[in-house]
Amino acid sequence: MTTVDTGAPTAAVPRDTAPADRPPRRETGVANAFSHGFLLLWAAMTILPLAWMLLSSLKSNGEIIADPWGLPEALRFDNWARAWTTAHIGRFFFNSLVVVTGSLTLTMLLGATAAYVFARYEFRGRQVVYYLFVGGMMFPVFLALVPLFFVVRSVGLLGTWPGLILVYTAYSLPFTVFFLTAFFRTLPTSVAEAAMIDGCGHFRLFFRVMLPMARPGLISVGIFNFLSHWNQFLLPQVLIPGDGPNRMLAQGLSSLAVSQGYAGDYAQLFAGLTIAVLPVLVVYVAFQRQIQAGLTAGQLK
Amino acid sequence: MNRREILRRSAAAGLLATPAAGLLTGCATSGGDDKGDAGAYKGTKSEQNPLGVKEDAPLEVVIFNGGFGEDYAKAHEAMYKERYPKAEIKHSATQEISKTLQPRFVDGSPPDVVNNSGAGQIDFNGLVSQNALADLSDLLAAPSLDAPGKTVKDTLLPGTVEVGSYDGKFLVLNYTYTVYGIWHSTKLFADRGWTYAKTWDEHIALCRQIKAAGIAPWTYAGLHPRYMSWPLISTAIKLGGPSVALAIDNLEPNAWKSDAMKTAADAWYQIVKDKFILAGSPGLDHKQSQTAWCQGKAAFISCGSWLESEQKDVTPAGFNMTVAPTPSLGSGDKLPFEAIRGTAGEPFMVPAKAKNTAGGLEYFRTMLSRKGAQDFTKKVASLPVVAGATDGVELPFGLATVVKALDASGSNGFNWVYNNYYRKLERNLVDAACGEFFSGRISPAEFLDQCQKGADSIAQDTSVKKYKRAA
Amino acid sequence: MRHGRLPLILSFLLPPLAVYGIFVLSPYLQAFQISTTDWLGYSAQADQVGLANFRTLLHDGYVWNALKNNAILLAVVPVVTIALGLFFASMLTMGGRKGRAGVTGVRGTSVYRLVYFFPQVLSVVIIALLWKEIYSPTSGLLNGALRAVGLAEPPAWLGDPRFAFWCVLAVMVWSNVGFYVVLFGAAMQAIPRDIYEAVLLDGASRATMLRKITIPLLWDTIQVAWIYLAIAALDGFILVQLMTNGGPNFSSDVIGLRMYDTSFGSENKFGYASAIGVAMFFLTLSVAVLALRTARRDRIEYS
Repeated sequence: MTTVDTGAPTAAVPRDTAPADRPPRRETGVANAFSHGFLLLWAAMTILPLAWMLLSSLKSNGEIIADPWGLPEALRFDNWARAWTTAHIGRFFFNSLVVVTGSLTLTMLLGATAAYVFARYEFRGRQVVYYLFVGGMMFPVFLALVPLFFVVRSVGLLGTWPGLILVYTAYSLPFTVFFLTAFFRTLPTSVAEAAMIDGCGHFRLFFRVMLPMARPGLISVGIFNFLSHWNQFLLPQVLIPGDGPNRMLAQGLSSLAVSQGYAGDYAQLFAGLTIAVLPVLVVYVAFQRQIQAGLTAGQLK
Repeated sequence: MNRREILRRSAAAGLLATPAAGLLTGCATSGGDDKGDAGAYKGTKSEQNPLGVKEDAPLEVVIFNGGFGEDYAKAHEAMYKERYPKAEIKHSATQEISKTLQPRFVDGSPPDVVNNSGAGQIDFNGLVSQNALADLSDLLAAPSLDAPGKTVKDTLLPGTVEVGSYDGKFLVLNYTYTVYGIWHSTKLFADRGWTYAKTWDEHIALCRQIKAAGIAPWTYAGLHPRYMSWPLISTAIKLGGPSVALAIDNLEPNAWKSDAMKTAADAWYQIVKDKFILAGSPGLDHKQSQTAWCQGKAAFISCGSWLESEQKDVTPAGFNMTVAPTPSLGSGDKLPFEAIRGTAGEPFMVPAKAKNTAGGLEYFRTMLSRKGAQDFTKKVASLPVVAGATDGVELPFGLATVVKALDASGSNGFNWVYNNYYRKLERNLVDAACGEFFSGRISPAEFLDQCQKGADSIAQDTSVKKYKRAA
Repeated sequence: MRHGRLPLILSFLLPPLAVYGIFVLSPYLQAFQISTTDWLGYSAQADQVGLANFRTLLHDGYVWNALKNNAILLAVVPVVTIALGLFFASMLTMGGRKGRAGVTGVRGTSVYRLVYFFPQVLSVVIIALLWKEIYSPTSGLLNGALRAVGLAEPPAWLGDPRFAFWCVLAVMVWSNVGFYVVLFGAAMQAIPRDIYEAVLLDGASRATMLRKITIPLLWDTIQVAWIYLAIAALDGFILVQLMTNGGPNFSSDVIGLRMYDTSFGSENKFGYASAIGVAMFFLTLSVAVLALRTARRDRIEYS
C-alpha cells in the first residue's frame, strides 16, 4: 500500500502568511460537519475496493470464496509470484508500458496541435472538420472492430506495436481534441496578442507560450488517456491476435479474469490486478505534484 | 492486380477515408473471396494415412482456455507430432474465441482446429448457415488409431454424432461427455440420515425435513437462472417421453406448453412457493451459489458434471458430491427414475476454409484414440466421448458417481439440443423466464408462456437458419 | 499577422486527420455500410437488404427496453456525478478555514485528492467483480451491514429486477466521480485567487461563491464533463455486462449490450448489430448537439 503523508497539505499553503485583515467567516457547524462527514465517507468507499483487492491477492482461493471479507490466515505472496511468472504479467507489463508511452506521446502531440487550430484559427470548413473529430466519441468501438482489423492489416501493421500505437491514438483523438479545444479557448487571448506584437511567430507562439499555459488541461486529459490506453483490451485483443509474447497487460489480465471463472484461481487474478494497479497509482501520485506545479505555471497574475 | 491489391494500395494512400462505398465493403465483407487455398495441403491416402494428411503441412490449433486449461491439448499435439514429425504445430489458447477469430473467418484464413467454447463462443447457427464448417464424416469412417478393427465412429459414446450434426451433416465434434443432474453432498445426507428422493412428492417431503433442520433445500445461480431449466425440462421429458424434447428442439408451436411441461412447471413451483430456495439466491452468480452449496447452506443444486472440477478449491474434505437424476413426477412417467440427461459437449471444429483440413481431422482422430482420451481423463478429470476412456483411471468421487449414473441410465438417457441450434433461446430468453419463475415473480403458466414467446420469436426470425432433428 | 498561419494550420491538422481518417473514419464508414446488409460475420456472404435492419429495429421490444434504461442513465448519471464532483472539488480547493480569506482546501486535501481518484485506476473488471461481491445477497458487505441494523430479509440486489439497474447506475457514478473531482479541481485552481478573495471579503458564503463564480467560470469544463458523461451513459455496456449481463429479465439491459449480444454474444448478426450501432450513433449525436445548444453560454475569460 502506498503510504501517504498525512501532514499538513503542501499544495495550498498561502504564499502570503500575513494575518488576515479580518477573522475568517464562521461556517455553520452542521453543514460543515455534514460536508466533512461526506468527504470521509466517500474516501472510505474508494479505499475499500483497493484494500479488498490487495487483501484478496494475499489470500488462498478457499479463503477468498469462503469469506470475501475475511482476513487471510497467512500472507501468501506466492500468488504474486504465480501471477508474475505463470501469467507473464511481468512481460506484458513491459509491453504495455512501451506501447502506452508511444501512444500517449503521439495522442497528446496530435491532439494538442489539432485542438489548438480549432480553438484559435478561423478557416473554411473548420466546424465540419471539428465535428468530424468529435463525432468519433459517439460511436461504440467494437462496431468498428471488424473493418478496423482489415484496415490495419492492409497497411501491414497487424500484430505490431506501431499499429496498436496508431490505433490507440486515433481512437483517443476525439475526446482529446474536444477537451483541449475547450481548454485552449479558456486561455486568455491577451497573452497571445502580446506575444504576436512582440514578433513571435505562429509556431513559436504555440510551443513557447500556449502549450505551457495549457499544462493543466494537458495533464488532465493526459491522465485520462493514460488510463484508457492502459486498460484498453478490446483493441489489442483484435489487433494483436493469438497469445504471442507481445500482448498487452490488459489482455493478460482479461485472460486471467476469464480463466478464474473456470479455474477459480481468484488469488492469482487479484495478485495480477494488484500488480497492474500499483504502478498506475504511483504514476498518479507522481503526477499529482506535477499538477500542482502545472497549475501555478498556468496561472497569470 | 486483384481487388485485394487495389485495397491495400488505396489504404496505404489514405484513400480509404473517402466514402468509396463499394470498395469499402469489399474490404470487410468480401475479404474471403476464394483464394483457393482451403484444404490446400493434400497428401496421399494410404492405410496408415486414411485421411490423406500431407506429412509436412503445418497445423494450427486454437484452444479455448477455460476450465480444462490447455495442457491436455498440448499433449494431443505432441501425439500428432509423433506421427508427423515434419509437421510444424502452432498452438494458441484464448478465452475470446469469437472476437479473436472472427476476422480470420471473414478473411478466409482460419486456423485448422478450433475449440469453439466458453462465453465468447461463436454461435454455431451462424457458422453452419454460412457453410463455414468442414464436414467431419470422413473422420467417422476412418479406422480408430488404437482400437483394432473399429472405425472412429464405433468408439464414440451414443449421441455424440447426433449432437454435432446439423441437418444430418456431422460438423462438430463434442469432445467431452457431460451429465446434467441434481447434486448433493453424500456426507451431509449421511450425517443427517436423509436419502435422496426418487419421486417428486417424496422430494418435497424431504425438502420440508431439510428446511426444518435449518438448511435451505435448494440454491441456484440467480444471475444465470437457465441452470434451473435443466431439471425442469428433464422432469417433463421423463414424464412425457423424448418427444417433449423433440418438439422443443424443432420449435413446434406450443412445444413449451405441452401437458408434460405444464405438469413439470407446476411441480417445480412448489419449491418456489414453499420457500425451499436459499434466501438471496436470485442475486448469486454460478460460483457464489455453488460455493454456498459447498458450505452446506443449501442441500441441492442443479449443475452439469463440470461442477466438481469447478469447485475443487472450495469443496471441504469428505464432502463427496453425488449427482442424481431428477425425481419422477409420478407412476405415469414414460422414463424410469434412473434416466438422466447426458450429452456430448465442448465443441471442436475444423473450419471449411482451413488450409490443412485433413490435418484437422487427423488431429481429431488423435484426440479420439484410446491413448488421447485416457490422457485427457487423467489431466482434467472429465469424461471424453470415447467409450472406455475411464477404464483403469482413478476417478475423483463426483466423477465416479457421474459414471455410475450414466451406467444406470443406459439406453434411457435423453437429451435436447435447442441450446446448440439457437443459442439465444436458452442463453437469453429461457434464461430470463427462469429468473422470473424461480424468484416467484411469475406463475408456472406465465413462465411457459414467456418461454413459448421466446421460441416463437426465434421461429419467426427469418435471419436464423432452422434445423430439424429426427427422433 | 497572416505570415505563417497556413503552414501552421496544415502541419497541425493534417497528421491527426490522416491517422484519424484511416483508423477511425474508414472502419466506421464500413460499419455504416454493413448495417444495410444481412451479414452474419463469419463468411464473405452478405446481401444488401437496404433499410430492412432499421425496420426490424423499430419493432424490436428488447431494443426499446434497453433504450429506456439508457435514457434513465442519461438523465441521472451526469447530474449526480457532476454535482458530486463539483461539491468535492470545491471542498478540496476552498473548503478549508486556514489562511487568509480561507481559499484553501480542507485538512488533508492532498490525501483526499489521491484517494478519490482510486476508482479511476481500477480496471472495469475489478470494479465489477468487487461490487458484485458487495451486492452479494449472502456474503456481501451491503447486506451484512443491513442485517446488522436489523433488516431480516435484505434484497437480492443484482437478482431483483427492481434494484439491479439502479445498483449498476450507482457503480457507474461511483467510478466516475474521482476523475471529475480532479478535473474540476484543476480548473478551479486555474481561477485567480484574488477573485475569490475579493468576494469573500464582501462576505459571500461558500455556496454563493460556488453558484455565482465557480460554476460560471468552469462552465466550459462542466460542458465537457457533461458531454463525456452523457456518452458514457449511452454506452455503459462493459459494467452492465460484467455485473448483470442485462438481467434479471432484461431489466438492466442497455443498448450497447444489445449490440454486443447481437454480434458477439448470443447471436452473430453483424448487419443488424451495425444497424443498432448506427441508430445509437445518431442518437448520441442528437443528444450531444442538444446538450451543446442548451449549455451554450458566453465564455468567460479571466485575464
